Amino acid sequence: MKNFFQRLKNHSKLAFFSFWFLVIFYIVSFLADILAPYHFDYQFRDKPYHPPTKIHFFDTQGNFHIRPFVYNTVVDDPVFRSYREDTSKIYPIKFFVDGPERKILFFFKTKKYLFGVDKPAGIFLFGTDTYGRDIFSRLLYGGRISLSISIAGVIISFTLGMITGGIAGYFGGIIDQILMRLVEILMVFPSFYLMLSLRAMFPLNLSSIQVYLLIVLILSLIGWAGLARIIRGMVLSIKEEDYVLAAKSLGLSHWRILIFHILPNTFSYTITALTISVPGYIIGEAALSLLGLGIQEPYPSWGNILSSTIGNLRVLGDAPWLLLAGFFIFVVLINFNLLGDALRNVLDPKNW
Amino acid sequence: MEYVLKIVNLAVSRRERTQLIPVLNDINFFVEKGELFCLVGESGSGKTTLALSIMRLLPKSFVVTSGEILLNGQNILNVNEQSIRSIRGKDISIIFQDPGAYLDPLFTVGVHLQEALHGTTEDKNQLITKTLKDVGLEPEIQLVYPHQISGGQQQRVMIAMALINNPSIIIADEPTTALDVLTTRQIINLLSKIREKYHPAIFFITHDLELAMSIGIRIGIMYKGHIVEIFRPDREKPLHPYSGILLGNIDKKYFNEKIPVSSQTDINDWCPFFEKCPEREQKCQKKIPFIWRDSLTGIRCIKHGRNHQM
Amino acid sequence: MKKLILKRLLHLIPMLIGMSFVSFIIIQSSPGDYFAQMKMNPEISPETIQQMRTSFGLDKPVIVQYFYWLKNLVRFDFGVSFAYHIPVRTLIKFRLKNTLCLAIFSLFLSWLIAIPLAVLAGYKENSFTDRFLSMLAYISISLPSFFVALLFVYFISKTAVLPLGGTRSIFDINAGTFVIFADYMKHLLVPGIVLCFVNTGWIFRLMRNNFVETFNNPYILAAWARGLPARSVIFKHTLRNAMNPMFTILGMEIGTILNGAALTEIICGWPGMGSLILEAVLSHDLYLVMGSLVISSFLLIIGNLIGDILIAFFDPRIRIT
Repeated sequence: MKNFFQRLKNHSKLAFFSFWFLVIFYIVSFLADILAPYHFDYQFRDKPYHPPTKIHFFDTQGNFHIRPFVYNTVVDDPVFRSYREDTSKIYPIKFFVDGPERKILFFFKTKKYLFGVDKPAGIFLFGTDTYGRDIFSRLLYGGRISLSISIAGVIISFTLGMITGGIAGYFGGIIDQILMRLVEILMVFPSFYLMLSLRAMFPLNLSSIQVYLLIVLILSLIGWAGLARIIRGMVLSIKEEDYVLAAKSLGLSHWRILIFHILPNTFSYTITALTISVPGYIIGEAALSLLGLGIQEPYPSWGNILSSTIGNLRVLGDAPWLLLAGFFIFVVLINFNLLGDALRNVLDPKNW
Repeated sequence: MEYVLKIVNLAVSRRERTQLIPVLNDINFFVEKGELFCLVGESGSGKTTLALSIMRLLPKSFVVTSGEILLNGQNILNVNEQSIRSIRGKDISIIFQDPGAYLDPLFTVGVHLQEALHGTTEDKNQLITKTLKDVGLEPEIQLVYPHQISGGQQQRVMIAMALINNPSIIIADEPTTALDVLTTRQIINLLSKIREKYHPAIFFITHDLELAMSIGIRIGIMYKGHIVEIFRPDREKPLHPYSGILLGNIDKKYFNEKIPVSSQTDINDWCPFFEKCPEREQKCQKKIPFIWRDSLTGIRCIKHGRNHQM
Repeated sequence: MKKLILKRLLHLIPMLIGMSFVSFIIIQSSPGDYFAQMKMNPEISPETIQQMRTSFGLDKPVIVQYFYWLKNLVRFDFGVSFAYHIPVRTLIKFRLKNTLCLAIFSLFLSWLIAIPLAVLAGYKENSFTDRFLSMLAYISISLPSFFVALLFVYFISKTAVLPLGGTRSIFDINAGTFVIFADYMKHLLVPGIVLCFVNTGWIFRLMRNNFVETFNNPYILAAWARGLPARSVIFKHTLRNAMNPMFTILGMEIGTILNGAALTEIICGWPGMGSLILEAVLSHDLYLVMGSLVISSFLLIIGNLIGDILIAFFDPRIRIT
């Protein structure tokens, strides 16, 4: 393992950075309950489409404050949704503030958040949406949903792909024929159209947990086919190797050979493929939620934060900071792509 | 005496990150007009690097650190890119190991031959047909794609391409290694027939010393980027211990254990064969020059070089 | 060559049957009895219902219904849209034209940009140009199409340099063909550029890697050894060989670009297949969903077929065996 990290680092510093960036990003989104100044559902009714809050070090008299502060804002023009800072009172940014109790990952309770300001002022690093909810907090919470869906989807479809590909390649014959025809037929559908059609199989109004599971199911159903085909090809060649023949002559059972001697040899490929395919799942979830077919309000996901901007030029014009959700997706995607590319080179036995 | 190819003090290194790793050292030899010079060495000894340096086709990671390569008296290391292209294929041509991999799969044999032909006053088609006949192929083969013909035929096409401009020297880099025994025989016969008819010098690279002994006028033995011996197989026996091992005369297992290999930093400057030499002595732990016995042959070994001189 | 195409065409038949069967299953497993729902809908005339009942065998067992449906499918009859009350075929015909125009326009544009840049980068492997272009490609690959589309829409809404949404803004009946065409192209520009933006990175990367790999091939070394000029080695030998796998990619892209196109269409307001299937899913218009799914997969199959034919045409190793 240490050897692996060293090789990754030697191969590409950038990819090594990407790896740690992603690790930190995942941790941050899973700790959204501590890091987010507001709960994803908390609304500032009087501050819809509030631009990102300005953070000050100097007050109106020009005095320097070592602790940064914000001003409360009031609506200046309700039609154009412009806000004016009320400079009469400063609200310093406080760290480890107390607030209503939240549960971290359903288990641990916390009353302390990383930072916040006293009410009625608000700290909106990335502005607010139509209900006056803090986009920064929603992005952190949304990251939890978007990133966990992609991981769950990847794991399920890879398990499915490994099993099917392994069985088809190892046993061959009629099983192989049937499974591979099935895979070919699944691959004939453009994934976006298949995704929407599969979504149409279920009612539009589902509970949020049902929708979550449904998205995972749909994404893994679409994703497993391509992998199964490649694993099958690899198993076909591995099963002719001497050590597999030796295992057979020792009288090991087929399943044992397949699971302990053949499939592990496809891991270096699958880990690369896994990394490269995560972006597809993130985009899939975002696309569904963006179109209103995925994660439903009030729950945030990177897709549905963007959804209010679609077909609504006014919202887009007034609150361009909503597009930051797209930027988050982009940042995660580019890191996955960089890492995946480096892994392909590092894990390729040819380059050892 | 007329040299077609003369190499003086050539040294080539490979760039690896910031280091330069020597690949060829102190290469000094020549090929006479119309001669068949064989270069013999194990894989990794630098034979192909030498061939590519002569063609000036070394990969970007290789650098010529010193020396001259004189082709018909002209140092090709100094000419510009434009002129080297007019030299390649015309004055010097090359045949490669695995003919299938060296023919572009998307173009017919005819296109390859057309391309190989440098400016000529003769009728092009007639010249191509004549050359194909010389290598024992029908003119119809021009319409065929490389994957449709056998390995032997592919190699004949490569030879036709090398021959078509009537070059003064042809480099043959293990031209028979990828072929079966029978085809090897045929290709060797073809090469000697061509040499009789057109008198090009041939620089024949192989790992097979026996083959080299049967065809070569002179043989150069290469070890770890050094030429360790040059001899005439029909006149004298090779004397270098490494040549002996290649010929199977000396038991490889026998080593002079009295002199252990120390891991000193200057080991690179010692006799290149020191580590594996059955006859090594203390005095071999230094830089050994190539000693010419006469104008044609020589050896890189203190013991046998001295003996000869005395 | 003819034999090869015929073989590929025969191979299509089980694929098409499988595809249609899966589509049918998906729609059949959707909740609700649509036939009953249709009868309740006062906007649908009893004649239409009667006609659909007989042509689709809606009161027969499910498996029989499939064959009815398949029979109609062969005639490109997908039934009637519940929401629009017009045949699905008519709807798809109009939308398909737009989607194909968009896909082909952006494919053409992105290949036109990506291939020359890829050759440049591949030829100057590891140079600054190569690294810079590869970095741009990474960015292009990692940008989701919907995000680029939104950024573009934002930009256009601020500057209004190009029309947004729909396919035309000139409704004068007397307008000349050229004027209408120019108007159409102007509307195509925004979704087209967005899609091209996302696609170019992929094509660049594939082509650049192909080029580098081909450039290190023995037959390129042999081409240099023949004394060929750089122009001939690069464009005749390396480019031709590096382009070969790209023909398969081109075929595949005709299908896969539908995915990117769908979201782009929806966000840019381009009336194509993508927005059609979304509307159909949102209004639970099942025959329309099914029709869109079948047609889009049909396009993907045709795309793969075109790729196979192209590569057979350009690669003698496949054409002549």
